[in-house]
Amino acid sequence: MAKKNTIRFGDYVQAMAVDTQRVPFQELMPEPLFDRHGREHPQPVPKMKLGGGDVVKVLQPYLSTRFIDQARAVVPLALYLALFQYIVLKTPVIDASIVAGGLFAVMVGLMMFMEGLKLGLMPFGEVIGNTLPRKLPLPGVLFIAFLLGIGVTFAEPAIGALQVAGSLVDPEQAPYLFTLLNDRSGTTVLLVGLGVGLAAVLGTVRFLRGWSLKPLIFMSLTPTLVLSIIALNNPDLTTIVGLAWDCGAVTTGPVTVPLVLALGIGVASAAGKGADSSLSGFGIVTLASVFPILGVLCLSFYTAYTVPTEEIIARAAEIKLAAQMAASQPAWFEVTPWTEITLGVRAIVPLVIFLAIILFVVLREKMKNAFITNYGIVLAVVGMCIFNIGLTYGLAKLGDQSGGLIAGAFTSIDAITESPLYSASVGIGIAGLFAWVLGFGSTLAEPALNALGMTVQNLTNGAFKKSMLMGAVAFGVAVGIMLGVLKLIFDFHIMYILIPGYSLGLILTLFSTEEFVNVGWDSAGVTTGPVTVPLVLAMGLGFGNALGSVEGFGILSAASICPIVAVLTLGLYVQFKVKREERRLAKELAQEGELA
Amino acid sequence: MKRSFTTLTEATLITAVVQSGYGEIITDALLEVGIQGSTIHAAMGVGIRERLGALGVAVDAEREVVTVMVSSDEVDRIFERIFLAAKLDVPGMGFMYATPLLQAATYVPPSILSKYVG
Repeated sequence: MAKKNTIRFGDYVQAMAVDTQRVPFQELMPEPLFDRHGREHPQPVPKMKLGGGDVVKVLQPYLSTRFIDQARAVVPLALYLALFQYIVLKTPVIDASIVAGGLFAVMVGLMMFMEGLKLGLMPFGEVIGNTLPRKLPLPGVLFIAFLLGIGVTFAEPAIGALQVAGSLVDPEQAPYLFTLLNDRSGTTVLLVGLGVGLAAVLGTVRFLRGWSLKPLIFMSLTPTLVLSIIALNNPDLTTIVGLAWDCGAVTTGPVTVPLVLALGIGVASAAGKGADSSLSGFGIVTLASVFPILGVLCLSFYTAYTVPTEEIIARAAEIKLAAQMAASQPAWFEVTPWTEITLGVRAIVPLVIFLAIILFVVLREKMKNAFITNYGIVLAVVGMCIFNIGLTYGLAKLGDQSGGLIAGAFTSIDAITESPLYSASVGIGIAGLFAWVLGFGSTLAEPALNALGMTVQNLTNGAFKKSMLMGAVAFGVAVGIMLGVLKLIFDFHIMYILIPGYSLGLILTLFSTEEFVNVGWDSAGVTTGPVTVPLVLAMGLGFGNALGSVEGFGILSAASICPIVAVLTLGLYVQFKVKREERRLAKELAQEGELA
Repeated sequence: MKRSFTTLTEATLITAVVQSGYGEIITDALLEVGIQGSTIHAAMGVGIRERLGALGVAVDAEREVVTVMVSSDEVDRIFERIFLAAKLDVPGMGFMYATPLLQAATYVPPSILSKYVG
């Protein structure tokens, strides 16, 4: 019973569309081959021949979506810094074209690196995570998790930012900080890696045994805080504390988190423990950001007791001399871009070799889709090299510049002739606001936070909304960065922020439920991605230099504790609200019962 | 009480197998013209990477399968709409097909039902 006075649209189209071509599907099928017994003969998949236009059509969406992902994180931040510098500080960006080129390199590098990570490194992690527990006893698995923790630390893109930041430290004023970041930077990263490895082991055991995160947090943070306080009172080491706490924020980046998690979850699911808890992914990130702090603190104590200050200063002068020599006649591997390329290769290749040895020698597994995996690995290495170049010329340069200039808002600096631009209180207010907005914006742009928000929303059945969590974390980071900047202005020690912050965090932890403890403590590590870390580090150091303070570290660590406190507080509030609602419902039900 | 049951006729199922991420683009394009009730399934595809050779890296092996039931009268229009929305004229993007449905059933608003029950 069709509607009256209508013709079917299909019939209409058939009649109107004269240029519809009909091609039998047979044309797309390969010709079957039979041997003389009539059995079908195997034949390879026919290769498709594409013209230039089609190649562009295939590549364009592939490249553009991935590039836009990175541009969304980098461009608003860079624009914000540049416009702020131009409008509020009345200074144009110095070397604007170099910085722009560097930022472009950061975006391209990150795009390639993330794709390479997904195609080349993650399959290794997944295969190893799934098969390792079946083929090796638990101690063996844990040992490999430990080694993996060290390997991923070296491959973390933000770790390069520490070395770049280290070149800005003055060896006279902070000798131990200088040596840990320059001639001993390899040892520092190794200690950070040991911390991450230990966290991977503990986190995996936690998955298996179903331990609560709370005692682990207390047990790992207490010695860290105590050691920090001892270091704080030691005149040689007091400058190190900020760096140590920043290392914790640096480690939990886009390489460490997924690879270590893949292994941990694989182990847990092989033991039949993975699926029952949606929380199984959490916790490792928290531990991986606390143990490196402990590691760096221990290293600094060891260095302080074995190496005298004079030796470091002499060594620093040597390095400087060598650098001058190198500048006049640099070896080929000491010039851009070769330095960055060696750094990039050194970061990824050992990790790949390590993963390959485990996969092919220990597990005797084969890699499916070897071509795609190889492509991914090449992409990761190339991306890391380009990212390193961009780090030096884009992020570090821009952050250092803005940090140095922002001081001109309230004090006189050489770079701005009419500085101070504003009266002291207004200027400090502007600097604080600048830091706050920077933290808030860069955190909301972090893709990992979005994912965390989704998980939390599902976990709490919607009681803790995604937007609420993102807001809380971004607010926390913003306040943290602002506090870090104020620390530099008023020149007090970072521990005066960290000790009350972490104490508050620990107290809130006591009262929170397991879910919120996991989410809250992990949120800190998640927020500090490969764009935020170098930018904030460089900004802090530039700012510190402009103000003449000894070291600009500590901003990142302040940005780590504040979101923890924010999320835990909000979590307690949500818990309270849910309980109140439950009580109200119970009351209503009781009343209805009475009425009936 | 006599049981009454309504079946819908002249329905066609359109199935589109597309690269991961394009499912929502299709459903949005359909919602724009008032067509609801599409389903997106997650799937893995095999073969196109091998056919494309080195270019295969640009093709995501993760696929989405969108199915939507439409009236047979409207098939060509919607078929074309999906084809354009999913950019299926690009090699490796995916494919789609339409299959006639013998019968279908769902909630039918009483106002429409009353026209046919008589």
